[in-house]
Amino acid sequence: MVRFEKQMLGNGLRVIVHRDTSTPIAAVNVLYDVGARDEDPSRTGFAHLFEHLMFEGSLNIPDFDTRLQDAGGENNAFTTNDITNYYDTLPAQNLETAFWLESDRMLGLAFSEQKLEVQKNVVVEEFRQSYLNQPYGDVWMLLRPLTYQVHPYMWPTIGKDISHIREASLADVKHFFGRFYHPANAILSVSGNVEPDQVFRMAEKWFGDIPAGEPYLRNLPVEPAQTAQRRLRVEREVPFDQLFLAFHTSKRKDDTFYATDLLSDVLSNGSSSRLVQNLMKEKRMFSEVNAYITGSMDKGLFVVTGKLHEETSMEAAEQAFFDELRVLQNELVGDRELQKIKNKAEASHIFSESNVMAKAMNLAYYELLGDAGLLNQQTTFYFEQTPDALQEIALSLFAPERASVLQYHSVKINKSV
Amino acid sequence: MINRQETPATSIITHLPFIVPKKGQLGNGVPVYLVEGGTEDIVRVELLFLAGSYHQHKPLVTYSAANLLKSGTKGKTSREISEMLDFYGVYLQIDAQKDIVSVSVYVLKKYLEKVLAMVQEIVIGPSYPQSELDILLKNQKNQHIVNNNKVAYLARLHFGEQLFGSQHPYGYRLRKIDFDKISRDDLLAFHKQWIHPGNLNIIASGKLPENITSMLEKFFGNSNWARPAQEPPEPVYLAATSENKKLLIHKNEALQAAIRMGKRTINRSHPDHQRLMIANALLGGFFGSRLMKNIRQDKGFTYGINSALVSLVRDGYFFVGTQVGAEVCQAAIDQIYQEIRDLRTKPASAEELMTLKNYLSGSFLRSFDGPFAQADRFKEILVFGITPEYFDNFLVELKNTTPESVMDTAGQYLHEDSLIEVVAGKR
Repeated sequence: MVRFEKQMLGNGLRVIVHRDTSTPIAAVNVLYDVGARDEDPSRTGFAHLFEHLMFEGSLNIPDFDTRLQDAGGENNAFTTNDITNYYDTLPAQNLETAFWLESDRMLGLAFSEQKLEVQKNVVVEEFRQSYLNQPYGDVWMLLRPLTYQVHPYMWPTIGKDISHIREASLADVKHFFGRFYHPANAILSVSGNVEPDQVFRMAEKWFGDIPAGEPYLRNLPVEPAQTAQRRLRVEREVPFDQLFLAFHTSKRKDDTFYATDLLSDVLSNGSSSRLVQNLMKEKRMFSEVNAYITGSMDKGLFVVTGKLHEETSMEAAEQAFFDELRVLQNELVGDRELQKIKNKAEASHIFSESNVMAKAMNLAYYELLGDAGLLNQQTTFYFEQTPDALQEIALSLFAPERASVLQYHSVKINKSV
Repeated sequence: MINRQETPATSIITHLPFIVPKKGQLGNGVPVYLVEGGTEDIVRVELLFLAGSYHQHKPLVTYSAANLLKSGTKGKTSREISEMLDFYGVYLQIDAQKDIVSVSVYVLKKYLEKVLAMVQEIVIGPSYPQSELDILLKNQKNQHIVNNNKVAYLARLHFGEQLFGSQHPYGYRLRKIDFDKISRDDLLAFHKQWIHPGNLNIIASGKLPENITSMLEKFFGNSNWARPAQEPPEPVYLAATSENKKLLIHKNEALQAAIRMGKRTINRSHPDHQRLMIANALLGGFFGSRLMKNIRQDKGFTYGINSALVSLVRDGYFFVGTQVGAEVCQAAIDQIYQEIRDLRTKPASAEELMTLKNYLSGSFLRSFDGPFAQADRFKEILVFGITPEYFDNFLVELKNTTPESVMDTAGQYLHEDSLIEVVAGKR
């Protein structure tokens, strides 16, 4: 149970505080309700490039990182298709430094053309390191446009094309800031050895005078229901074939989220799970298997994937996956098996509550979903699910005509290492 | 109006929240360390065996013997074991390193006793089924083949070999063929020789039940858990750093080159080690380090660069690692040498040193946050036979650090002419 207090400032900034006196640390999380889905299709990769620029100087403070380090703190950030999230940890007695820094960069950025150029290079190298220069690194650049034809989930956070980053101008970046980086579009959460009243006072002091800004009304194209199977076959210089099946699921806020998540756990969470036991151990068709959901705000994906052994054909692999999905449609998941994956969900929830940074991050995320208090109900929501609910989801999701199939074939590569 | 130009007042860390673990001993002599704390009802129990790949006679034996502990016993199949552990939501972590084998469970306190009974069974009596070994080796071999297409992996493997020599277990570079040479008998022999109470330390952390000691006694203090009649002798190897200081592993299609540079140096048990850690931090140990500022934040050559000191029980080394665009590879290498030269020749400014000290003390504090983190830090000194004063001493070293002491330490241990250089990719 994560107890918290919540207030909203006059400019619309939501502030959440959780007190944990067992730690000498304070964690500060600032979530901005903007992700790659909010980008202009001809200017993709901006939310993420922007995350880099948030460290390059704000109105009154030229160097975010150094000032935080001076207070014994450390920070990082990440961008997803839905959100951009910044987080700092520091000794609790130096909490105000994080407020000073985070409020100044919410107030306004002030970086040079030269710093923009350098960060564009850094992001290009990140693109190469994570997507292009890794075996299987481009999978999501293929899978996204295959599964989304209309919705902006069709591009990854790094961007559709590296040229969008290379061409970004200072004016583009400023426009992006003005549109998304203001108090009503953000959630501030703090956890650790802090006094809630003092934190609220500090929030008012540092964030209270930031202008509210124009509200951003999200109006994204809705991905239509898929009616015919989509298939993509690519050849790459990788050592082994890999197969991906993807199906559209519900939104994170829909009630069906929990049963869908448990369904993916039945398939691959833990070494006793079905794909591991049946397809890796018994049939020895794959060297790796995984099933997971993207859990995104708009309609997400249920992905089943595996790396094939050399003697396994793509056809046999695909058949084996569909067979497992059919079992989920035709037979109820057993009571003990369901209890097992619920217990795993409970345990991982409790483990995450032992970390002061994770608590701040989770509170902000659930507040974005509608109420920070949802954090404390997650285990209950999982425990409410029944075998029938899981079967119903399996029946609605796994029709062959609703599948997107990506066959990632291995070609000519030196395996003698 | 608030003055946003002015930094809020801060205070530095003077007190370390490290609690020396409560030490006990089981009936069979196994030392037990208890680290009590935390807010949630969760417990971690770690069985730490002081033997690792340094002690194996063939590559992959330690890895396989450790990872297959969970894959079958006399009375239970691999599937039964994983069903049980999954049912209780246990997170089982098996770690086979160069000097240690560690088996940890993270478990809800309410299930601890049931889970420890299972841990006892798998650690004491693994059956190492042939089929499980076949599956593990085949899958790991595939993983190795995939990794060999990653420049960072190639650079890391070759760097180890250059540093310690191909005959030394710390430097041995894994080959595909090694996956075909392991038998069940190798695993059984390794288990018999090294996974026994004479080599074991137990660290329990978290919200411990009152009867934790008797629980550990029941499962791991049993005198039936035999030690080998004769302790095997400690193997002896001599490290032989390559005469050839530069190595290029060609991977022509690569867009980026992975660079790894470094040398063997002192480890944690040496009195100068903390001083060297501080100098290393300034060079490449955090986001505000000189390497990061120069090569990422100023030049934009890379997504990230760092340097680190690695302590092995019988040796130690220093390295700088990064991935850069192939076209700027040489420029990046030149800059790395320049930064190492500057570390021993150019004094840090008062501001730079203050940032370093404040950051390191905060980061030090964070590294002790919570019972699991405390247990991890304690493990660092336990493996090296160091006393807990080590931690307080770090804050003293940090306080006493001056621009001159950083330059002296760097000059003594990190001279740029003494480095091995490995590049994987195109340059």
